[in-house]
Amino acid sequence: MSTTYDTSRSPLEPSRNSKRVAAFLIILYIIITSIPILFIASTAFKTDEDAMSYPPKILFEPSLEGFVNLVTRRSRQSKDFLKSLPPPKTWYEKIVRERQMVIVGPSRFLGRFGNSLIIGFGATFFSIFFGTLAAYAFSRFKIPLKDDLLFFILSTRMFPPVAAAIPIFLMYRYLGLNDTHLGMIILYTTVNLSLSVWLLKGFIDEIPKEYEEAALVDGYSRLHTFIKIILPQAATGIAATAIFCLIFSWNEYAFAVLLTFRQAQTLPPFIPTIIGEGGLDWPAVAAGTLIFIVPVIIFTILLRKHLVRGITFGAVRK
Amino acid sequence: MHGPIKKINTKLLNMSDRSIVWAFTLPTLILLVFINIYPLIWTIYLSFTDFKANRPGRVIHWVGMKWYEKALTNGDVWGYMQTTAHFVVWTILIQAALGFGLSLLLNRKFKGNEVLTTIVILPMMLSPAVVGVFWKYIYQPQAGIFDYIINVFHHFGSFSMLSNVSLAPWSIIVVDTWMWTPFIMLLCLAGLRSIPGYIYEAAEVDGASKWQQFIHITFPSVLPFLMLAVLFRGIENFKMFDMVNELTGGGPGSITEVASIYLKRAAFEKWRTGDSSAFAVILFVCVLGAGMIYVKILNKLKET
Repeated sequence: MSTTYDTSRSPLEPSRNSKRVAAFLIILYIIITSIPILFIASTAFKTDEDAMSYPPKILFEPSLEGFVNLVTRRSRQSKDFLKSLPPPKTWYEKIVRERQMVIVGPSRFLGRFGNSLIIGFGATFFSIFFGTLAAYAFSRFKIPLKDDLLFFILSTRMFPPVAAAIPIFLMYRYLGLNDTHLGMIILYTTVNLSLSVWLLKGFIDEIPKEYEEAALVDGYSRLHTFIKIILPQAATGIAATAIFCLIFSWNEYAFAVLLTFRQAQTLPPFIPTIIGEGGLDWPAVAAGTLIFIVPVIIFTILLRKHLVRGITFGAVRK
Repeated sequence: MHGPIKKINTKLLNMSDRSIVWAFTLPTLILLVFINIYPLIWTIYLSFTDFKANRPGRVIHWVGMKWYEKALTNGDVWGYMQTTAHFVVWTILIQAALGFGLSLLLNRKFKGNEVLTTIVILPMMLSPAVVGVFWKYIYQPQAGIFDYIINVFHHFGSFSMLSNVSLAPWSIIVVDTWMWTPFIMLLCLAGLRSIPGYIYEAAEVDGASKWQQFIHITFPSVLPFLMLAVLFRGIENFKMFDMVNELTGGGPGSITEVASIYLKRAAFEKWRTGDSSAFAVILFVCVLGAGMIYVKILNKLKET
């Protein structure tokens, strides 16, 4: 066969031009879709007036007012009272003072942030732990009614949380789990299990059975091969699944808004309630959003290599 | 290792296959039964009673099929179902097309595509509730950036996506598409990368055109992954609550009142527990039925 194409590259490798077009289109997509994110990020550093001006301000004097408002509670004071106070000692007191206000105390933001960390990462750990075990069993052993059981696991995702919240509320009240970290961790772990079992089973299915069979012949026990062979081979899949689980439990809102009140409330129901003097305090909401997404992004970047390798896992089998 | 610990360890390591199956699946199944099945059965029970969650002490009466009859004959309920269907169908169609397209582009393996993949998936890491509240700001006619950008391309003047009756249903579709297209893209990309290179080489040798390769190799290989992504998105959007609740709250009026918003209003604002339970069960049966058929098709596709 005479080759009409450039022989310096494999026929599978896309041509340089098609690569350029692809890169151009992807960057265009990123530019369009990142506008809302950039808008959030810039609003976090605006003052209330800048945030509400039209046309939207692209150039503005950055201010940390949003962040200060996010973590403090303030009260408006009369001019005479403010004059009688000693001059502000810190930069944040100064920002608040310029608004004719004084800081009364910390807001609930940091406590809610702590709740999000405990519940989000706790639930991710347990859904990966139990999910890996179940996925392995479903992947490697003959289980009666396996397909029906797997569909049952998936079907647990189909019931709207808003409807499930009433029975869970009544059950949790009986068990004393309402508005507790433990209760929310159990809840999120379970909701995530359907996803983690399905995804992880896919990944474990891809690991050739021959590896294990060889080890079993060598006298390894089943559990030993699970720990020594399956776990390291499935690490990329586990990492990719962990990202999905964290994204869900970190961001969950319906259960959190209906089942938590004081002790265990996470940030998603809290952020939309940050009110200033005329409705929502947009710079503070934006600042809260910005801080809120940092842990997920760090987690994703740490596991990024695995995510990319995790989704290309299928390619390994051939 | 010391004696007793070693003994326990060897005992554990030598677990029989049967006990491994039990030990490995039981925690998952117990959790699912307690947190998912038990509430479901309870909800089914409540849907036949006149229980009200805000009056727990009252005597509960059995009312039979009353709430089901009411839900199935009530025109409003069909309206909410239609609103939900409009939302689910359009988001799935747009996201599947865009997501599949993006995955084809990202699979071109140009320089830096891994970094760009990470940037593309950024929106889906955000909290839907927080996204909802923030897009409310973006859509604001006075201060938001959405109106401003649209007006740069074509001068419509000031308009409000969220309070216009014909635009509001699309406002939630835009936000959902912005957020979840990367999810479909990610799964399609996994499908594309699982195609072994030698298949294309063989096709090339056989003289298949690029278009033929796409139709006969690329598309069928990605289809199961695309369908799995659509399944997950379909289920999620059927019960969509958080983003819509914060963005429109079902408004204006009840134009964007998708099923879950109606459920919340009935269950937690009007405290009609029996009523809302019946609707939740109907909804669940619909999704379950559709899901069963879908998974059957998906499994058939995988076999071929």
